[in-house]
Amino acid sequence: MSPAPNRPLTVLAVCGVGMGSSLILKMNAEKALKSLGVEAKVEHTDVSSARGMRADVAIAQGLHADDLGSVAPVVLPISNFMDVDGLRRQLEEALRAQGWLS
Amino acid sequence: MTAPVIDAVVDVRAADWRGAVHAACAPLVSDGALEPRYPERCIAIAEEHGPYMVLAPGIALAHARPEDGALALCLSAAVLATPVEFGHDQNDPVDVVLAFGSPDDAAHLALLQSLAEHLLDGLADELRLAPDRAAAVRALAAVG
Repeated sequence: MSPAPNRPLTVLAVCGVGMGSSLILKMNAEKALKSLGVEAKVEHTDVSSARGMRADVAIAQGLHADDLGSVAPVVLPISNFMDVDGLRRQLEEALRAQGWLS
Repeated sequence: MTAPVIDAVVDVRAADWRGAVHAACAPLVSDGALEPRYPERCIAIAEEHGPYMVLAPGIALAHARPEDGALALCLSAAVLATPVEFGHDQNDPVDVVLAFGSPDDAAHLALLQSLAEHLLDGLADELRLAPDRAAAVRALAAVG
């Protein structure tokens, strides 16, 4: 599965509660994607709700990565939610590997 | 946004991460913004889902859901005298424990956005360097 060229990338930021940590991760992922010039729709949720959702990319703490295999073809474990540069590097590498970023 | 209840404690001696979560929530419980059960829910969620609240090296953000006893939009910080382990594989140990509560699913969005910006601008170090509680409250009040 690859995102159609005519729609934004969908990204799901996930944490245990779906209100705080995942919201901060969402905001910083939006910054990282913007700096990569990637049009994306980033949402945030809790890990239980995430299991019923689909996205192109899921981002979460490493401990949730195993739970998210069915959510997105690309699952990125993020250790530092405040490291926008690190997020950018991880997203860039993954999107290039998928052929979603030239 | 509605003005949040802001509070802080410094030089906190917490025995472990559970004590640190309680310490961060305690001023907001005293202020009437959180019910006493709220920190217990933060801890229960972490016991179920792992240390979701550890955002970055040294920094945790304790929070639960509105229905877990968040009475008002609120934000606090506990600066620990001795860092504690949350069981996070990369971001331990933690010495700045923030806590927030939101009375619904939307009231906190602007506050958290502002918190994220201030954390990127060095808020955690400002809190660490705060000489007393009043200074920590002032640093945190800049967020909301």
